[in-house]
Amino acid sequence: MSYKKIVEMIPVEKRGTLSDKLLNYLLKAKKENRMPSSLAKCFLSQWQTGGFDDVVGLAVLLEATVTVEPEKTIEFVETEMQLAEVAKALKEVA
Amino acid sequence: MVKFGIEFVPKEAYWKTVYYAIQAEKRGFDNLWITDHYNNRNVYVTLATTAMYTKKIVFGPGVTNPFLVNPIMTCQSLASLDELAPGRVVLGMGAGDKTTLASTGIEANKQLSAVVDAITIFKAMLEGKSVTYEGSVFKVKGTKFNFKPRGQIPVYIGAQGPKMLAMAGQIGDGVLINASHPRDIDYAVSQIKNGVNEAGKSMSDVDVTAYTSFSVDKKPEKAMQAASPVVAFIVAGSPNVILERHGIELDKANQIRGALAKGDFGTAFGSVTPKMMEAFCIAGTPDTCNEKISRLLKAGITQFVVGSPVGPNVRKAIDLISEQVIPHFKK
Repeated sequence: MSYKKIVEMIPVEKRGTLSDKLLNYLLKAKKENRMPSSLAKCFLSQWQTGGFDDVVGLAVLLEATVTVEPEKTIEFVETEMQLAEVAKALKEVA
Repeated sequence: MVKFGIEFVPKEAYWKTVYYAIQAEKRGFDNLWITDHYNNRNVYVTLATTAMYTKKIVFGPGVTNPFLVNPIMTCQSLASLDELAPGRVVLGMGAGDKTTLASTGIEANKQLSAVVDAITIFKAMLEGKSVTYEGSVFKVKGTKFNFKPRGQIPVYIGAQGPKMLAMAGQIGDGVLINASHPRDIDYAVSQIKNGVNEAGKSMSDVDVTAYTSFSVDKKPEKAMQAASPVVAFIVAGSPNVILERHGIELDKANQIRGALAKGDFGTAFGSVTPKMMEAFCIAGTPDTCNEKISRLLKAGITQFVVGSPVGPNVRKAIDLISEQVIPHFKK
């Protein structure tokens, strides 16, 4: 499943909170070298031209966060955001 | 109207620093300064990437030094950056930190002359002509680029001592003053004025910039906690004359110096006193920070740089500054 499809499974009212938390995880991540160069460029382009609140932006952010901090991200989505199906989908793509 | 700048240390992966650079531009900052230390990511790689992802923010090294990077190479880097981001590039040049330079085997002697030589060569090379210059530290002979630089680039000089401050006023377009307290800014401005008068310039020709240690958060204790490690390092590196200017007991400063030398960061950071915090950083809620920035404006600054640590959460601090600090001064 694509990250865009996964984001579409997330209720609209939860996307803002998720985006905010994911940015915190990503920017504080210690294993920053896990970020592939192509994804880093995509992340920066998205930030420059739009942001991370819409479907496309949140998909990029989710992919970046799952790539850099897979365990933390999936656990957060599952337990704090109470999005079991989304967490399950993320485990499959991670 | 006062300009707002922000400083980042490229100690993390480039995409994090550039993320914050984009955020700073989006949130209304005018200037971006990237520090230049050999032990962090390269300043020009960071600036070039920033150029690609931003459109209007003005940026430059803040500051580089001529001992580690030859002024010809600094000029080449800045002229190349000016092609990537026309008209948005500035140079921040200082004498460098003697301790850091010593670890690279470089003896940073004749600091004032070195900076003057470097800036003279920098400006001449930007003319695109063959340059011959014999300074007391740096010399060039028939040096010329194989490309035509776009033109002059504003030069900011990092200065603290009286001679460097006066020289900065004399030949610089801006002065970067590592200070967060009006007492230090008052002193710096008086020295800069000497240089400005000597050159027959006006103070309005010089962008007097306070390069502060800054930390903002809605919870003041969190802001202070984030700033105390930075203040510990500032105290340790400050000449005694500056500590005395703020009434800081030298034995307490020496306690911090000793602890840092032993790598005992807990003791060092825990030894930072309220007086040290008051002297060497601007930390607290947005209202507290606004009050302190106002005092620096009265002392004569024309640019305020939000320096490390910015806040306990850098991303949220930038948003907070954008919402509650910058609008306070740019109504």
